[in-house]
Amino acid sequence: MISVKNLTVRFGDFSLKDVNLNINDREYFVILGPTGAGKTILLECIAGLHRIRRGGIWIDGDDVTYLPPEKRRVGYVPQDYALFPFLDVRENIIFGLKKKDGERYEAERKVDELAHLLGISNLLNRSVRTLSGGEKQRVALGRALATSPRMLLLDEPMGSLDVRTAKYLRLELKRIHGELGITTVHVTHNLLEAEEMAGRIAILNTGRLEQVGTPEEIFFYPQSQIVSDFLGTPNILNCDECRVLGHGLVEAICGDMTIVLPRRSHDIKKIALFPQDIYVSRTKPPGPDLNRFKGIVTDIVPFSSLMRLHIKVGENNLLTELPKDIFEDMDITVGQEVFLILKLRSLKVH
Amino acid sequence: MFSSFKGIMGEQVFKLAILSVLALLTLFLCGILLSLVAYTDVNTFFSTLLSDEILFAVKLSMITATTATIISMVIAIPVAYAISQTSFLGKNIIDTILDLPIVVSPIALGAALLVFFNTPLGSLVEKRFIGFVFEVPGIILAQFMVVNALAVRLLKSTFDSINPRYEQVGRTLGCSKLRVFFRVTLPLARNGLIAAGILTWARAIGEFGATVTLTGATKMKTETLPVAIFMNLATANVEKAVAVIFILIAIAVIALIILRKMTGTRERI
Repeated sequence: MISVKNLTVRFGDFSLKDVNLNINDREYFVILGPTGAGKTILLECIAGLHRIRRGGIWIDGDDVTYLPPEKRRVGYVPQDYALFPFLDVRENIIFGLKKKDGERYEAERKVDELAHLLGISNLLNRSVRTLSGGEKQRVALGRALATSPRMLLLDEPMGSLDVRTAKYLRLELKRIHGELGITTVHVTHNLLEAEEMAGRIAILNTGRLEQVGTPEEIFFYPQSQIVSDFLGTPNILNCDECRVLGHGLVEAICGDMTIVLPRRSHDIKKIALFPQDIYVSRTKPPGPDLNRFKGIVTDIVPFSSLMRLHIKVGENNLLTELPKDIFEDMDITVGQEVFLILKLRSLKVH
Repeated sequence: MFSSFKGIMGEQVFKLAILSVLALLTLFLCGILLSLVAYTDVNTFFSTLLSDEILFAVKLSMITATTATIISMVIAIPVAYAISQTSFLGKNIIDTILDLPIVVSPIALGAALLVFFNTPLGSLVEKRFIGFVFEVPGIILAQFMVVNALAVRLLKSTFDSINPRYEQVGRTLGCSKLRVFFRVTLPLARNGLIAAGILTWARAIGEFGATVTLTGATKMKTETLPVAIFMNLATANVEKAVAVIFILIAIAVIALIILRKMTGTRERI
C-alpha cells in the first residue's frame, strides 16, 4: 500500500499542499485534474524525484520519504516515455536489469517474457527512434516493469497518442494490470480515460486534493463545486422510482421529470445530464413529449464563450449551456418559459 | 527604410542582399587562400614540410594540443555539468569568471601566468614540481588556459539540451546519481562531447599568444606550428611560413570534416 501523509512540496511558484492519500495493493488508481493541478509533481514525489518539504510517503509500511528513487523499486513511465535514444529496444528494456555477466542470461529471458506480454517481440532489435507513439509507450512500460517494481507510475501515458491508439492501449493497460496485478498510479487530465481505467480516482486541483473515490462516487457525489466544474458541471437528478417498460427501455421518475432511457440496470438511483446535452427551445418542439420538459429560466450567467441558463423544471433545477450568438438570437430572458429536450446518448446513470 | 522591403519583391531583395554578403566573405577567404597558393613553390613547400624544424613543430603541436585537450575535457565535463544542472549561491559570478579566458586576450593570459610563476607560490611549483616558464609543459598550460573555457561553454550547452527526464528514469531504474551520469548523461551527450573535443583541439593547436608569452619562441624547443610561422616571418623566410600556414589550414579542414561526419550537424560555437 502507498500512503501519502500531509505531503507538502514546493516547486518554483507552485506547491502541493497537505495531500493525504492511500492507494491499496493491486489497485488501479488514477490522479485526475486539469493542467497545472500538480498531478505530475505528486507522481514524481512518489517516485522520489522531488525533495519533500513536509509530510511523508510510505510504501508497504516503509517510510520512503527520504529514500532516493533507485531504492524505491518503482516503475516510472513519463509522459514523453524518455526511451534512451542511444540504445535499441532490447537494451532499453534490459537497462535496469543488467548487472553482472552471469545474470545477463536471466535478464535476456525476462526481456523476452515482457516483450511477449506487451506484444513487442518483433520490435526488440529496432532503434527506439523508429517506433510509433504506441510502440514507444509499450517499450517504456516494458522497461519500467523489467525491474519487478512494487508499483507502476504512469504519467499521462496516452497524452501523445491518437484517439484510436489510445483506446487500444487503454484496453492493453487494463489487460496487463489484470495479469500482473501490480499497483498502478496513473496520472491524466482526461475524464473519460480516468473513468474507463480507474478503480478509484483522486481529483487534484491547484495542488490540493479535492476528492478521492470510485468513478461513480466522484461523478454522482461531487464534494465540491471545483470537482463538479471539472466533471463538466453535470445536473444530477435523484430518481425516486424506476419502471421497466420492455423493449430495452426503463422509465426513471426523478421528481417531476419522467425520463425514458435504455435499460442499463434495474435500479437507477441517479441520472447525470451534462449542460451541453440539454437542448433549449422557446417554442414547443414537434413530436411526442418523450424526454421533453417545460421549465422557467431562473438565472442567466455568462460563462466563457457560452451563456449558462438555470432552468427550473418542477422541483429540479437544471443547468444548460448555449453559445452566445444562439442565445442572443433566441432572445431568452429570466422568468421566461422554455422547452428542454434531453440528449440521451451521453447520459450517465448510477 | 523598411517599407521598401514589403511583399514578394522585398523578400527577393532581402535574399539577394544576404547572399551578396555571403559571396563577398567567401570570395575574401578564397582570395587569401589563392594568394598563399600563388606564393608557394611546390619544391620549396615539400622540402620545408619535411625539414627537421617543421616536423618537430608538427610533433610538438600534436602532443601539446592533444594533452591540453584531454586535460581540458576531463576538467570541463564535471564543471560544465555542475553549472548546467545544479544551482548554488554565486553561480552566475562563477559562470562569468569561467568565461573570462574566452574574452581576455591570450597574450594577457600568458602574461598573467608568467606573473603567477614569479610569485612565491609559482616559484615553489616551478622549483619543486614541474617547470613551466620557457618549457614544454608551459605550452600545455598556456593552451589549457585558453581552450578550457571554450570546452566548458560547449559542454554546458550540450548538458543544457539534455532532457532531465532521462536521468530521472535512469534513477527509477536503479541507478545512483553517479551511475546515471555515466550510463545515461554521457551517452546522451556523445555528439556534444565529440564536437567539444575536436573544436578544443583545433583551437589549442592554433594557440599562439599565451604560448609565446609564457614559453617564448625557442627554435626546436618551444616551437609549435603558430610559433614556427611567427619565427619564419620574423626572419623573412616567407615560403617556410606559408608552408606551415598550409599545415594549419589542412589540420583545421580535417577537424571540421570529422566534426561534421561524427555529429551529423554543423556545431555552433
